[in-house]
Amino acid sequence: MISVSFDDRVQIGLQYILDSLHGCSPFGQERIRKLRFFAPSEREALETELGNTERAAAAADALKDVYDAIMLELCQIKDVRGSLSRCRAGETLDHVELFEIKGYLLRIEALLPLLTRMQETVHADGIALHDPASALSVLDPEQTRSRGFYLPDSLSPRLQTIRSAKRKIEERLYAAKTDAEKNAIRIERTRICADEEDEERRVRADLCAALNPYVDELLLDADTLGRLDFLIQKALFAVKYGGVRPAITETELVLEEMRNPELCDVLKEKGRAFVPVSIALDRGATVITGANMGGKSVAMKTVALNVLLFHAGFLVCAKRASMPLFCSVLMLFDEAQSMRSGLSGFGSEIVAFEKALATVEQGYALFLLDEFARGTNPDEGAAIVTAVTQYLNGVNAVSVLSTHYDQVASAANAHYQIIGLRDVDPDAIRAAVSPDADGIAVIARHMNYGLYRVEGKSDCPKDALNICRMLSLKPEILDLIEQNYV
Amino acid sequence: MRESLQREIESVKTLSIVGMCKNAGKTTVLNRLLELAPKGRVLGLTSIGRDGESVDAVTGTEKPGIFVREGTLIATAKDMLARSDVTQEILMNTGIPTPLGEVIVARARSAGNVQLAGPSITTQLKTVTDAFFALGADQAIIDGALGRKSLGARTVAEGVILCTGASYHASMEKTVRDTVNAFRILNLKKAETLPEASDAPLGDILKQHGEARVSGALTDSLVLPLLRSGALKNARLIVKDPSKVLLSAETLDKLDARGVSLETEEAAKPLCVTVNPVSAYGWKYDKDAFMRALTEALDVPVIDVKEEGYDQRQL
Repeated sequence: MISVSFDDRVQIGLQYILDSLHGCSPFGQERIRKLRFFAPSEREALETELGNTERAAAAADALKDVYDAIMLELCQIKDVRGSLSRCRAGETLDHVELFEIKGYLLRIEALLPLLTRMQETVHADGIALHDPASALSVLDPEQTRSRGFYLPDSLSPRLQTIRSAKRKIEERLYAAKTDAEKNAIRIERTRICADEEDEERRVRADLCAALNPYVDELLLDADTLGRLDFLIQKALFAVKYGGVRPAITETELVLEEMRNPELCDVLKEKGRAFVPVSIALDRGATVITGANMGGKSVAMKTVALNVLLFHAGFLVCAKRASMPLFCSVLMLFDEAQSMRSGLSGFGSEIVAFEKALATVEQGYALFLLDEFARGTNPDEGAAIVTAVTQYLNGVNAVSVLSTHYDQVASAANAHYQIIGLRDVDPDAIRAAVSPDADGIAVIARHMNYGLYRVEGKSDCPKDALNICRMLSLKPEILDLIEQNYV
Repeated sequence: MRESLQREIESVKTLSIVGMCKNAGKTTVLNRLLELAPKGRVLGLTSIGRDGESVDAVTGTEKPGIFVREGTLIATAKDMLARSDVTQEILMNTGIPTPLGEVIVARARSAGNVQLAGPSITTQLKTVTDAFFALGADQAIIDGALGRKSLGARTVAEGVILCTGASYHASMEKTVRDTVNAFRILNLKKAETLPEASDAPLGDILKQHGEARVSGALTDSLVLPLLRSGALKNARLIVKDPSKVLLSAETLDKLDARGVSLETEEAAKPLCVTVNPVSAYGWKYDKDAFMRALTEALDVPVIDVKEEGYDQRQL
């Protein structure tokens, strides 16, 4: 089963997406809060959900008013599952609980025509509500459809008798002159009030018994309302960030022009744009290399994000996508983990790797390692990462490693390189970097965050040297660097 | 109750009843108002926190229950609703939590006793009074809390009835003095203009502008140095609401003497003061002397509700 820690959700931008959704009903909010990922054995259910999401997103424009009206109703629904369960167990509910169940039924009644309109276009599978009319006739026997809840006299002749006695005695109380007279009336009244309470309890017990046959339907409806709520949120998300329904494959994972909504928004605020990234992965180890600042981590996190979105029944943020169903998604990002465990950075990485590997080897997995073994010395680090890469080639998982160590690439099944400054003329940039300009920002602007697949043996991209050159490092040193490359 | 006062009380959209202490006679006043309200007039009734127990939880004194007419709206915690003996129509969940359950708005479909436990935060109180008016209430009445806390109710209410009594203190002089001081604070002028809020030291702002808005509480230790430095002479001081004024009577006098205008952003009008000369703790004041002392010091009617209440309309 896929499970993702809160830290990892934050890292890859999944939490950002969940926080941007506005679940309207308590049931929808719960689905978002306790996000569930479909397992490979639930392929059919996932395909149904993806189909629903795709059609709901496609209709979002035309059905904007309907969606708004549905959301407005959902916002006002109260969670009555606790009361319903107690009713099913044969307990007698109190006034307020019956009022809340009546309110719930009235909301469902108001939602029915809206859902019908939505379904004319969307045809969402498995989203249907029961007609609440019969249950409503229990709680609203006089068919007033008022929002309040009151036990009408008509429910029991005895109740009617008691209440009319209560009314009479109140008139006498208002008319009484002396304290003694009033006290006598008050004592009499207390007895009538007790009778009323007893009879009301009996009537409420009858109502609960009459409601009992509908309880299971009503609990199912709560679940349906949660799915409807979530479905609309998924559709609106897809409309906002552009979404595509992935084709389901056996092993291969392809994402064309994938995007990360959190980074899109962050960059947009800074007046820049996220560069969509394309990648094709398959069983075995794939290595991503490239200069610092180049976006290796971003590429990996965006892969993880989109795979998880898919598993939760969202459309994914890419132009085209095809994916297998994974048993697990594991991520090892370098940040902060060591601080908590008290081990050295490297030691805790190895411990985390071992632990993750145990899960990865249990079924087809997506395994992401960001700058593994970066904390140790470069020669040993390269040897370790090469060995891990070789091992992962034989593991039943799509493994992706980002690394500084270019030599690791030859051990991998596939090798991607950040385009970085490949296509940039360093001299032109150096000219653009005036002495007082922010050279780093100029370089970041020219950095191409895209990936390209390296076939065969790769040349060292020399981006680090290019960066030194653009930032006008001393020519003598630059010469020495060039000599050392050879 | 004089007819002019009754009209004035009825003209206030939201009325708050506040007590100087327990057993000051708040519930008696409330019952009087419920009783005197013209038939057909819909009242919305709630409290700040818990009130309306039939026996006082502190002194064990028998307390009058709150008896409402048919048609009255009440907002009270769910557990307290179950302990009321009116026939109920549940109208609304407010979503406001209390230790006694969510505050529920219900309509009394018969006359009867109610137990009130409303919201304890003024913003939530506003939610409740808004709900009353949306449900057709003509007037909202807030059974206020005791002491300082109740002064905050002024941010919601337009009119206030202040209840005082012998239970406050064995010394009548002290009760009168403190009641007059509380009234004075309740009766602060509403600020017509609001100076810009600023983080600069209060003394500097006052010297520069001659007026200042105090964001927190106004205490003696804050005000006295300013008085001594002369920064306050003829100045305006504005606080959020009366609950923020923690000044002694002496300091208030000094502010008056220097021509300082103490004002509040929110203002409700104290409409009258009611007295209960009998203490729950056993002692009693000379009723006439008590009434006289308060009447001389205050410019609103002072009423002995118990006494006035014994007419044929009293339950």
